[in-house]
Amino acid sequence: MEKQPSQKAIIVEHLSKNFEVSEKGKGFFGGVSSLIKPNKKTIWALRDISFSIEEGELVGFIGPNGAGKTTTLKILSGLLYPSSGFTQVLGFDPWSRKREYLKQISLVMGQKNQLWWDLPAIDSFELNRAIYEIPKKVFEDNLKDLVEILEVEDILNTQVRRLSLGQRMRLELVAALLHKPKILFLDEPTIGLDVVAQQKVRDFIFEYNKKYKAAVMLTSHNMDDLIDLTKRIIVIDKGEILYDGSLKELVDIFAKEKTIKAYLSKDVDVKKLEEIGEVRRFNYPQVHISVPREATALAASELLQNFPIADLTIEEEPIESIIRRVFRGERKT
Amino acid sequence: MRKFLKRKFNRYLAVFTISFKQEFAYRLNFIMWRVRNVLQIFVTFFLWNAIFYTQDRVVFGYDRSKILTYVFGLIFIRAIVLSSRSIDVAGDISRGDLNNYLVKPINYFLYWLTRDISSKFLNVIFAVGEAFLLFIILRPPFFLQTNIIQLVTFLCALIFAILIYFILLFMVNSIPFWAPELGWGGHFLVSVVIVEFLSGAMFPIDVLPLVFQKILYLTPFPYLIFFPIEIYLGKIQGLMLVKGLTISLFWIIALWFLMKKIWDKGLKAYQAYGR
Repeated sequence: MEKQPSQKAIIVEHLSKNFEVSEKGKGFFGGVSSLIKPNKKTIWALRDISFSIEEGELVGFIGPNGAGKTTTLKILSGLLYPSSGFTQVLGFDPWSRKREYLKQISLVMGQKNQLWWDLPAIDSFELNRAIYEIPKKVFEDNLKDLVEILEVEDILNTQVRRLSLGQRMRLELVAALLHKPKILFLDEPTIGLDVVAQQKVRDFIFEYNKKYKAAVMLTSHNMDDLIDLTKRIIVIDKGEILYDGSLKELVDIFAKEKTIKAYLSKDVDVKKLEEIGEVRRFNYPQVHISVPREATALAASELLQNFPIADLTIEEEPIESIIRRVFRGERKT
Repeated sequence: MRKFLKRKFNRYLAVFTISFKQEFAYRLNFIMWRVRNVLQIFVTFFLWNAIFYTQDRVVFGYDRSKILTYVFGLIFIRAIVLSSRSIDVAGDISRGDLNNYLVKPINYFLYWLTRDISSKFLNVIFAVGEAFLLFIILRPPFFLQTNIIQLVTFLCALIFAILIYFILLFMVNSIPFWAPELGWGGHFLVSVVIVEFLSGAMFPIDVLPLVFQKILYLTPFPYLIFFPIEIYLGKIQGLMLVKGLTISLFWIIALWFLMKKIWDKGLKAYQAYGR
């Protein structure tokens, strides 16, 4: 296959991956019988997915547990052998794991560490310098940059095992980025971090993407990660892509309703409220009414005219709940 | 080309350095392990010393000084050949930590070989110290080999032994690609049962029946420990020596190809466990 003329960093076409898993029965006898006659089962982790990512693009990859997000990242970074389909990253076939390819990518997994547990992080950095063949001067500049942005100056020489999760995660990022990868695969980079640490990591990813024009592919359960960072998202479930496009469009397509939140100054009959729109919650004095997007203004003015309203706000449906609906398989009408 | 080799060397030198530092992170563990080694040697020493109590007794072609040299030779060869760190390979695979290495431009096999050499280096330093101490305490009659050919071929056999054992373990440690729970069992089978008994680490192999010896010489195991020591002792010379070196070289190549095949298959079956 020829390299595409446009600046595609990642091309995935009709990619599938299945695993053979042997199931163990319950209890002792189940365990024994599975030794004699293993109960083989095929799990379809990815079914015929296709997408492509441009250079310098930041794409969020979301889906419930076991949807196939991590599997995709692992295939793209050359860890897993695809069952079928075509993948090309920076013009390379990831599986062949060419030196030149590996020098340009980085995979960060929130739950796997590459830092040497018993040694200070700086030792691991030095090792990476040799592995990625980073010239001394470049290494020092990069390290200085990263250390500054991620604020890890004072923990560089502490044994990694003594650090907190948040500190370790930031050092993991330093280790993963010393060689300035053109492509960055991030798997749950904020998992287990507190809100402050999450924000630090997010800001940093955003900066890195902008500054180095690196393509970033990020999976997360954390909606804030996606809302903050990505313009484009790919929603995946049960190994299939449900949506691929801008986050804003997804909201436009799926958020056909807005919520009017009102505080009543006097109790009223719920039935009357239901003439305005669908009452989602009524808990005097608070009431949430869901109304069609285009009728929002009208509904609000009707409420204000006909009911004793103390306060009123109009809100968009939260992105979490939109995505939940995408997962449930609701289609745009 | 030279530049390429130099960069490659630098890469593995860095692995060597960090590996060396890592060994020192577990000082107590290390010391306990050395103590175990010394005790093992004491037991073997007194056993053979008792058998050869009568000064000029010769059993299976060993006199007192040669059997005691054999025992002391064991200290070194064990420290050099059987001190492999690659048990961690099985763990890397079953825990999915192999991911960390696969996504980096580094050869996993050479990575572990380097870590192995680094660990051997440390062991040799300590083994020299221990041997010196034991020598002073026990004052055994010691056989010094002076023939330069025997010494050079001894070194050669030693390097072969290191490679055979390393590749063998690397192969066994790839079992978790298919059966993640079996990593330790396979290692135990090879390193403890087969190697200890068949390599000459427990007793010189030439005390065994001749038929058994002949079969054993076709397997890679006696070349791990017995063969190098016997070269040092001068008990293996000439044609026997050439034949032995050839067979061990054959095993290195054969095992290497087998290991490569297993890894090619294993990586395809690899499920990169752990998120």
